[in-house]
Amino acid sequence: MSEVVQRTADISGEGADSIKKDVINVGFVGNPNCGKTTLFNAYTGARLKVANWPGVTVEKKEGAMRFHNHNYKLVDLPGIYSLTCYSMEEILSRQYILSDDVDVIVDVADASNLERNLYLTLQLIELGKPVVLALNMMDIVTERGMEIDTHRLPEMLGIPVVPVSARKKTGLEILMHAVAHHVGKGVDEIQHHHYNSVPSAHRHDHHKEFAMVYSDEIEDKIDAVKERLKDKYPKMTNHRWHAIKYLEHDKDIMEKYPIEYKDILDKNYEKEIINEKYDFIEEIIEEVLVNKDSKAAMTDKMDRVLTHPVWGVPIFLGIMAIVFLLTFTLGDAIAGGFEVLLDYFSRGVSFLLDQVNASPVLTSLIVDGIIAGVGGILTFLPNIFILFLALAFLEDSGYMSRVAYVMDGLMGKMGLSGRAFIPMLLGFGCTVPAVMSARTLEDMHDRRRTILVTPFMSCSAKVPIYVLFSKMFFPQCPTLVALSMYVIGLVVGIVIALILGKTDKKNSRNCLLIELPEYKTPNAYTIAIYVWEKVKDYLQKAGTTIFIASIVLWGVLNFGPSGMVSDMSESFAAYIGHIIAPLLAPAGLGYWQIAVALISGVAAKEVVVSSCSVLFGIANINSVTGMSALSAALGSMGFGSLNAFVMMVFCLLYIPCAATLATVKKETGSWKGFWFTAAFHLVVAWVIAVAIYQIGCLFMI
Amino acid sequence: MTLAEGKIGNTYQVLKTEVEENTERRLEALGLTEGTKVLVLNRKGSGTMIFNVRGTRLAVGPQIAQGISVKEAAAHE
Repeated sequence: MSEVVQRTADISGEGADSIKKDVINVGFVGNPNCGKTTLFNAYTGARLKVANWPGVTVEKKEGAMRFHNHNYKLVDLPGIYSLTCYSMEEILSRQYILSDDVDVIVDVADASNLERNLYLTLQLIELGKPVVLALNMMDIVTERGMEIDTHRLPEMLGIPVVPVSARKKTGLEILMHAVAHHVGKGVDEIQHHHYNSVPSAHRHDHHKEFAMVYSDEIEDKIDAVKERLKDKYPKMTNHRWHAIKYLEHDKDIMEKYPIEYKDILDKNYEKEIINEKYDFIEEIIEEVLVNKDSKAAMTDKMDRVLTHPVWGVPIFLGIMAIVFLLTFTLGDAIAGGFEVLLDYFSRGVSFLLDQVNASPVLTSLIVDGIIAGVGGILTFLPNIFILFLALAFLEDSGYMSRVAYVMDGLMGKMGLSGRAFIPMLLGFGCTVPAVMSARTLEDMHDRRRTILVTPFMSCSAKVPIYVLFSKMFFPQCPTLVALSMYVIGLVVGIVIALILGKTDKKNSRNCLLIELPEYKTPNAYTIAIYVWEKVKDYLQKAGTTIFIASIVLWGVLNFGPSGMVSDMSESFAAYIGHIIAPLLAPAGLGYWQIAVALISGVAAKEVVVSSCSVLFGIANINSVTGMSALSAALGSMGFGSLNAFVMMVFCLLYIPCAATLATVKKETGSWKGFWFTAAFHLVVAWVIAVAIYQIGCLFMI
Repeated sequence: MTLAEGKIGNTYQVLKTEVEENTERRLEALGLTEGTKVLVLNRKGSGTMIFNVRGTRLAVGPQIAQGISVKEAAAHE
């Protein structure tokens, strides 16, 4: 029996109707920027479930839908250019496709960029699972005056081809219909002419069963390896695909299914295989694409301005200034509103609890602990919302990849990717959204380094600390001193980034390589779903950690060995402060009140100032009288201007606030990131503080 | 010559790629194979550049641009 008949007999069926499947599992695959996500969202709406693939930080999106009496489970796989073993996304995708969890693959291709997209299509077809090609962005094809022969294309590929436009929402039902009917199917009839290639002298006429047929020499080797694999692993699905992987020296497959191959394969045939695939793609394009000379004028015109060798950077900085302003002025304004509401709410609750004679402990727990904690979470929300709205807009329009190009030179000198500029810039406003924005960095090592370094950028919460201490101890030049904090933060950040970059042996980001997609009008629906996902993510994951941290800190600051205390100097925090103080002495900060203020600063940096006012018993700390009272109190303890300077530096550099730590944990996916960041910053702060103090002391003597 | 020396608006044909293996694979997956024609769209002095290959716009850093040997070619169709 010829292979073709055997295969179709094995996977019998007329499609989903005769296969009694409860749920049709559909995997969405495609290049980045092909509109796959927009298409996926069009089917699932906001009813997505986003999780991580087990053990890695690659996102997995799942959704469900019902259509024409069938239930579908849709999984959105990461955007990939090919199915090699060189990246986690690729390995995950192909493992998933080969597993039983997938019935049909929808290969989403950018029809206006067909040539390159077909490379993945050919690879998917080779995997052997049913594939339906969705030609997305057909509206752009028409706009440009191009045409695609949708009769010949399926004949050459042997799979159904459905034109769609995710943006205009056309073809969507037809696609799902095609999917339902393609479950369990093998290859459709293939007809192609191969005008250009050498006539095959091969003993098997593969052309009827495989869209992609290689040169005779390669086909011979594939057959030989296939036989070996069949002998050793008879139960394997798709021996041909695995054999092709052997020719490509695919480490993943060679490790999983070892065989003797050195006598058959004298070298790595990956290059030849890729070249032959592209030769076939050129044939397909020649036959199938009409009016190929598309007018990509718009994008190139915009790029001439936006990636201008001279103006590119200033334009980018201008755009970021707008984003920054929106995020932090508008965001803070809204946050301010939240705070006012929260205040009313908190007082109201306090009043009610009073009315029912609730115990002071309970009242404090609810008001100072829980409500303050939740309030803490919510105050970041407006900033995050607006920031991600702006970033999503820039990303969806296609501009963000240009950022990587424009900033590459500058950031490259610091050992960071061009895109790392954004988180670092945002860190000057607030570290929480800054760390979240590090998601746009694709390289894990880059991302980790950027996340580690971003908190050194002085955030707005630290400003009250600088204002207070500079005014008190440097009355002639408070602004200069405060500014110096920003500079120190920047310098420390850059130096650490450089050092980490040098020591990071597996520095895979050695060179910029990124696709610049066409510019397009951002899709409101895509952006809405994206922002909603980020907000939900933040509330669920960071929120819970912030909440817990607030409660813990509340406990430590309000309770002592004798129970609840009203005087902070009796609290556990004070005891801890007394223990820690000697450790801070070499930095000139060996005072238990300072230690407690610093501990409270782990909850939120703004709290340092209010802790100081509580600990030193000063009302209205920002007034002239308040400040002179405080500096008198400090002065009597031997705390002078050098100590003040070191204090500010320490606050600048040490453990980031609980919200940041929680976000770091969420973005790195582990508690290890959390503890490491806290420890790293503490150590850096301590070392630098001690250095400054000791050297400063030498000068004073 | 290398692609890094390419001028904006000119088309070149790829002769050889001498870059790190991983990078080479990624470039090939994106369509940059031997014999392919590329059109230089933009560049910075350092060799960081943007070019069009098989309809795809790619931005690459100097190490990659310097590793791709090319010869001048007529524009596509």
